[in-house]
Amino acid sequence: MGGQRMQHSMIINGKKHEIDVDGDMPLLWFLRDRLEFTGTKFGCGSGLCGACTVHVNGQAIRSCVTPVSSLADQKITTIEGLSENGDHPLQQAWLNNNVPQCGYCQAGQIMNAASFLAINAAPTEQEIDTAMQGNICRCGTYQRIKKAIVEAADTLADTLNKEA
Amino acid sequence: MNISNISRRNFLKGAGIATGGLVIAVALPANALPANALAEKGILPKTSATLNAFIHLEENGDTVIYCGRCEMGQGISTALPSAVADEMEADWQRVSVKQGDADEKFGPQATGGSASIRVMYQPMREAGATAKAMLIAAAAKVWKTSAENCFAQAHFVINKSNQQRLGYGELASIAANMPIPEKPILKKKSDFNYIGKKLPRHDQGEVVVGKRIYGVDTKLPGLKYAAIVHCPVLGGSLKSLDKTDAMKVKGVSDIVEIPRFDVPFGSIGGVAVVADNSWTAQQAVKKLKVEWDLGENALYNTKEYKQQLVANVEKPATLTSERGDLDNAFKTAKNKVSATYTGGHLSHAPMEPNASVVWVQKNSCEVWASTQSPADIQKVLAQYLKREPKDIVVHVAMAGGAFGRKFKCDYVHEAAVISEKTGAPIQLIWSREEDMRTGYYHSINAQHIEASMDENGNVTGWLHRAAFPSISTLFNPALVRAPEQSLNDITNHLFGVENFRVESGDAKAHTRIGWYRAVYAIFYGFAFGTFADELAQKSGKDTLSFVNQLFDNNKNEAQQAQVQRAKDVLAIVANKSAWHKRSSLPKGQGIGLAVHYSFQSYVAMAVHVEVNGDDIKVLSVDCAIDCGQVLNLDGATAQMEGAVVMGMSLALSTEITFKDGAVVNSNFHDYPVMRITDMPNVNVHITDSDENPTGLGEPGVAPFAPALSNAVFAASGKRYRDLPFKPLSV
Repeated sequence: MGGQRMQHSMIINGKKHEIDVDGDMPLLWFLRDRLEFTGTKFGCGSGLCGACTVHVNGQAIRSCVTPVSSLADQKITTIEGLSENGDHPLQQAWLNNNVPQCGYCQAGQIMNAASFLAINAAPTEQEIDTAMQGNICRCGTYQRIKKAIVEAADTLADTLNKEA
Repeated sequence: MNISNISRRNFLKGAGIATGGLVIAVALPANALPANALAEKGILPKTSATLNAFIHLEENGDTVIYCGRCEMGQGISTALPSAVADEMEADWQRVSVKQGDADEKFGPQATGGSASIRVMYQPMREAGATAKAMLIAAAAKVWKTSAENCFAQAHFVINKSNQQRLGYGELASIAANMPIPEKPILKKKSDFNYIGKKLPRHDQGEVVVGKRIYGVDTKLPGLKYAAIVHCPVLGGSLKSLDKTDAMKVKGVSDIVEIPRFDVPFGSIGGVAVVADNSWTAQQAVKKLKVEWDLGENALYNTKEYKQQLVANVEKPATLTSERGDLDNAFKTAKNKVSATYTGGHLSHAPMEPNASVVWVQKNSCEVWASTQSPADIQKVLAQYLKREPKDIVVHVAMAGGAFGRKFKCDYVHEAAVISEKTGAPIQLIWSREEDMRTGYYHSINAQHIEASMDENGNVTGWLHRAAFPSISTLFNPALVRAPEQSLNDITNHLFGVENFRVESGDAKAHTRIGWYRAVYAIFYGFAFGTFADELAQKSGKDTLSFVNQLFDNNKNEAQQAQVQRAKDVLAIVANKSAWHKRSSLPKGQGIGLAVHYSFQSYVAMAVHVEVNGDDIKVLSVDCAIDCGQVLNLDGATAQMEGAVVMGMSLALSTEITFKDGAVVNSNFHDYPVMRITDMPNVNVHITDSDENPTGLGEPGVAPFAPALSNAVFAASGKRYRDLPFKPLSV
């Protein structure tokens, strides 16, 4: 695949984008440098820190190690597209708890948590730890991240109850 | 280019008209058009007003407050503007905050030493109070009444006689022409609206939707992307370079040699590849065939060096200060205790690696950078380009963490070299590996303490030797040991010991040493706090009583108030952690105490651990800080929580290792910073103080490691004296 141009596209935050770069290019750099969606961050380039986390078909992946060639016709969601008005329960909970310090890792934290809550709506603290251990925050906001995820899970549970 | 008197809204509106289709990227709110160009075209609103360097009022009342200090996550761009808003009686909902570019009008912008609030609290309050006085004077003029007959509240001036109101927006242009009061009257603490409260940071909303723009996010039309590989050893230089394979990579346009620039914060030397995106540049860098002349520092091995430092402090060293008669104290001692403490190099490893955009043109040089010191960028680039510092325009971007690293602008200098040689605007982003291997590291260090006690557990003599390559070596590489001023925090320590001697052990630098969050307080706090606990064990007293006795023995009149504040924070954490009930903890658990004064603030910690063999689990941490008047209670709490996490990383696991002159670590797998699974419960207690505000970002780091060492000892009887306790072997 290396060097060849892909005749494919992917759906990013609901909009179709031609994959007009080298197929080996990681999604992170397609987003950041080609499309100028800079909400997704570069932290380590090796899938070790989670700053670059986005969703592929709703599931959290590390965009810094995911080549675009593997994403033809897939649905990508970045932090910019997680919710229409920035009001995903996690985003709300992040604000309520004043989670961010420098904030650089937080897009990845939120995207990782969103994917996790979608499959486990009522996590234990230990399950939160396990799910979030791939996301580093060097400012040390972990205590608030944990609290915000618990709070968002409660909000989601309330919403589901109301719908049911 | 200065747009300080153009609102963002008007600027964007104006830019579209004035430039006829020029695309302004979101990262570029400010650079494209000079203010006077807009003014000439009549685009500038005539009724808006800049009341001083920090405050700009729109006709509709929208208020921009500038932050001159650099934001890196410590919350300064909320804290300082909120002090302005408070004194100005501005409604925070009407305020937006802007980061000031490099400009003397903002006062000192170099952001380090936990000094921002200490230095800027008063000036920012005065800026706000000045604006308020001018707005009141304007309203008084309109109403033909006296200023005394008016007061300001929530973005309005109100006439006391008839309750008439005029909004700040309506008053802006009149206020701008009012005389500037000589000495504005500041508010009483009881009248504060924002100071000391839990104000959310101004940029959170942008952060959670991915719209906050960091240095790494800068985009410009025609931007080229660069990646770099550095000379792995300080003092080395390029021996040979084969560009062939790298040039073959599609999208690569240039390969630029960057010679070592021997000024403080200049490049260590490297080779950069320029391409049409970062990834291509990173791939091509790997295809460079580079050989380096490594120079004399190629002999640097930290394992041996640490042993050498230990040897240098376990023998007489160079005297830096002395009081009393130490020899006599030692001769007449009931008990003598000695111990040696060590610690390794640390890398700041902020989540955003070093990044900047620089565009060098014939008659201009413009920089967009995550930075802690815009004036140093101006200085270094001016030296390199042989221009005047004032001609280097620096836009200060939000830093995705910094911790001291982004005080040094070698990465900006490199982007300037590449831009100068290619003519293009260049974004240089370091890889994580380059970030970790091309640092300004926290000093590797060794300290040896010997102390004598009498029969009542009073410490009668204290010999303290420290050896570490000091930050001063950045400016004077010939230094063979830390200078006297770097050991002043030992000499002036608040423990009361009559007979005291401080010595500096030989420690030549073989890599670049730099400020790392809490700096020397990391190892001074560790040695003092751990040794106090060891002395307490020897004396048979509990650590709390013993440390209080050490403080009580301080007879220096000038330090009495400080001693009391240190004792007070210690008492808080002892109380909150139920120190007095520690004997009822389950087997394998323990509580450790430590207190340290640094950056003019007082911090104590009680760390509660569970130890199982080599496994150390931190269960909870109580920390108390007295940093004088707090600006933002929630921000202060967050700083302490973060300090605990950084303290945990350096106490337990992070260490930079050099072999043959080069850093061995490369990424987060072999530089294991704390993760969420390690996070203890952290309870922060902040004293309600009327004293002047002092340091907050850094002092919280220092007491963690000693409190942890003491807790582990209490739990298991095992004493850790080397940081980190559990290094990965790399």
